[in-house]
Amino acid sequence: MPGTTDAFISLTGATKSFNGITVLKNVDFDVRPGEVHALLGENGAGKSTLIKIISGLYTPDGGTIRIQGETVSFSSTRDASKRGIATVYQELLLFPELTIAENIFLGAYPKSNWGGIDWDTVRERSRALLDSLDSAELDVDTKVARLSVAQRQRVEIAKALSRDARVLIMDEPTASLAEADVQRLMDVVRALRARGVAIIYVSHRMPEIFALADRVTVLRDGALIGTKEIGEVTEASLVAMMVGRSIDQLFPKPEPIIGDVLLEVEGLRCGRLVRDMTFSVRRGEILGIAGLVGSGRTETALTLFGITPAEAGTIRIDGKTVTIRSPKEARDLGIAYVPEDRGQQGLVKAMTIRQNVSMATIDRLSRGLFIRFADEAARAVEAVKRFGIRARGGIEQPVGQLSGGNQQKVVIAKWLETAPRILILDEPTRGVDVGAKSEIHAIIGELARTGVAIVMISSELPEVLGMSDRVLVMNNGHLVTILDRAEATAESVGAAMTVAKNRKDAA
Amino acid sequence: MTRFLRHETILAVLAVIVLGILAYQSDRFFTVDNLLNQGRLMTEVGLVAILMTFVIATGGIDLSVGSIIGLTAILTGVFWQSVGLPLPLAALAAIACGTFGGFANGVIITRFGVPPLIATLATLALYRGLAEGISQARSVRGYPEWFYVLGQGNVLGVPTQLWLLVLTAIVAAIVLGLTRWGRTVYAIGNNEVAARFSGLPVDRAKLAIYTASGFAAAVAGVILVSRVSTTRSDMGTGLELDAITAVVLGGTSIFGGRGTIAGTVLGLILIQALKNGLSLAGVKGDGTIVLIGVVLIVTILISNIVHRNGNR
Repeated sequence: MPGTTDAFISLTGATKSFNGITVLKNVDFDVRPGEVHALLGENGAGKSTLIKIISGLYTPDGGTIRIQGETVSFSSTRDASKRGIATVYQELLLFPELTIAENIFLGAYPKSNWGGIDWDTVRERSRALLDSLDSAELDVDTKVARLSVAQRQRVEIAKALSRDARVLIMDEPTASLAEADVQRLMDVVRALRARGVAIIYVSHRMPEIFALADRVTVLRDGALIGTKEIGEVTEASLVAMMVGRSIDQLFPKPEPIIGDVLLEVEGLRCGRLVRDMTFSVRRGEILGIAGLVGSGRTETALTLFGITPAEAGTIRIDGKTVTIRSPKEARDLGIAYVPEDRGQQGLVKAMTIRQNVSMATIDRLSRGLFIRFADEAARAVEAVKRFGIRARGGIEQPVGQLSGGNQQKVVIAKWLETAPRILILDEPTRGVDVGAKSEIHAIIGELARTGVAIVMISSELPEVLGMSDRVLVMNNGHLVTILDRAEATAESVGAAMTVAKNRKDAA
Repeated sequence: MTRFLRHETILAVLAVIVLGILAYQSDRFFTVDNLLNQGRLMTEVGLVAILMTFVIATGGIDLSVGSIIGLTAILTGVFWQSVGLPLPLAALAAIACGTFGGFANGVIITRFGVPPLIATLATLALYRGLAEGISQARSVRGYPEWFYVLGQGNVLGVPTQLWLLVLTAIVAAIVLGLTRWGRTVYAIGNNEVAARFSGLPVDRAKLAIYTASGFAAAVAGVILVSRVSTTRSDMGTGLELDAITAVVLGGTSIFGGRGTIAGTVLGLILIQALKNGLSLAGVKGDGTIVLIGVVLIVTILISNIVHRNGNR
């Protein structure tokens, strides 16, 4: 029985369809003041449609919205915002060239007596808002362009609070944050809850949900699966609700078959963030790379892949010294790289699955200059089948229309077409829903068993610990330590990240 | 593929309507002689526009082509008359210089990361300035009779340069539509970073395309000299805009990633037919330009509306 009496905002029977396809059917949802209500579901489950209805961006086709018992209808985000509903979006909507204070009050500047903008009040109130978010280090006159993602997020929250937000919608707020920033954000959320703000929290990350949420609602295929008190559920039961089947094991790691050393890196240097890296990877081995964002993990991968060629050091493959100056040379040596930023680096979103899958091997799929279209299509069909890529339009569907998990499978498929011996994966499951995540983990495990040497960079500690045979920890461009699977625990890896940081700070 | 062709279909229908109206308006329009002559007149813009399709499909632009035409024209005359090279050699040397101009654009864009708009805006001024400096405001005339075959003669009853245009269009359509080079062009235009991360030769492709664009403009320059029997330093001024208009009218996205040679050819035909037909119907030059502007906007609007409905 959802508590409609004490809820600040409640939806009953919310329904929405586009072009005759129902994306949300008959969903009840409510959130109370001083509550964190987590909203879960795979990509495409209807979460974003639901929060867009609440924030006034979409008008529902059916159902009612009540605020404190009174039926309302929003025709724009402005209407919703007047009723105290604010959203902190995944991609932050601030103006980089304006200052923090200007951004916070943009569109609602307090006026002075003569009708101009009262800048003193703007700055004073911005200061007070930031202090209330425990952000004393942010200067209200700093341009937003100079802030980190985590800092921008706090500015967004301050902006919402400046409009007296009673309901705050947070859409995957931690997707691009480092671990320390996540902790800080969680403190902010708790403080807001204590102040009586109602918070709708969308996230894929289970630990956060269990640390923060009071209640949790799961959607699947546009339908409400259930709303539960957090005490009534476990991680496994939530995952089962989301995917409609139980996932036996979160990280299905088969027994590894580890062979000879394949990749050896010695004294590798490039710029500020790759300093004297020395490590090796064996056939069939998964080497996890852990470290904070900005510790040089991605930069190391980019150097190995030839995007930013090495300035010093040796790279040996199968005992032979090689030089890698471009992605094409890396590919020809059997190195593949599944990049961190899927949308920018991994895929050409406007092009089809077929064209993306063949992109790294188009020269091999050509006779002379001419593309062998039949072969290309056959390879794509094969990839769709092998990886279970779900696409309504088949191989001719533009990849931009696929869900995050299916997009990631296309990137992986593209690189497996090159038949790599060494596969570097950078955040392979970022922004991917739970079902696709375990599928991608299974693919990685299988590849390792066929003798591919795998380097896996991830910010998710459970993923690194669950998947890796060894864990390499980086900090500030340096290698801190390499731990065996048996020694690698959340504590030992976490300690390696922070000890190094302290040592560097002391120096 | 059907979605890509939709713009071309609209354009083809529009072209047929325009041709129909023009044929009805003037009995001199729809004659073999007139149509072949129009083909002759559109060759220079056509050659440039076909290569411009590649440039724009990668998300770039080449504003310097008109100036390369002027420079090539002047150099042909100077190499022949002042330096005393035999005319075929003079023309080839001039074409080599024009091609180098395109290559220089490519180097500035790929090596130094200058945006194409700015790089070619600078070389537009540079190459035109060189042409004017070299010519000293003198024109070159009195080419030997055989040289006019290129610009004024016929082969098998069809203007010489029209053969060249048709051949270029066919080769370009095949390269863009069926080869891995064409695929690379579309990939770069849609997402250059991802193309690079996929191991595609991004810089090499761009360098080749700007060089080819310079080469096409240089050849167009020599044809222009042969057609008008004289060489002046202001030849080809503003031609870059005619070429870009044809390409964009033909459905190539100015942001890159989308476009076909068939579309560009239809765009060229439509513009040339309007120019000719309207002048035959007694409309003044200013009126023609206004109408071409209107046609461009209307075509893009229709195409956008159809696309949007198709996507929803």
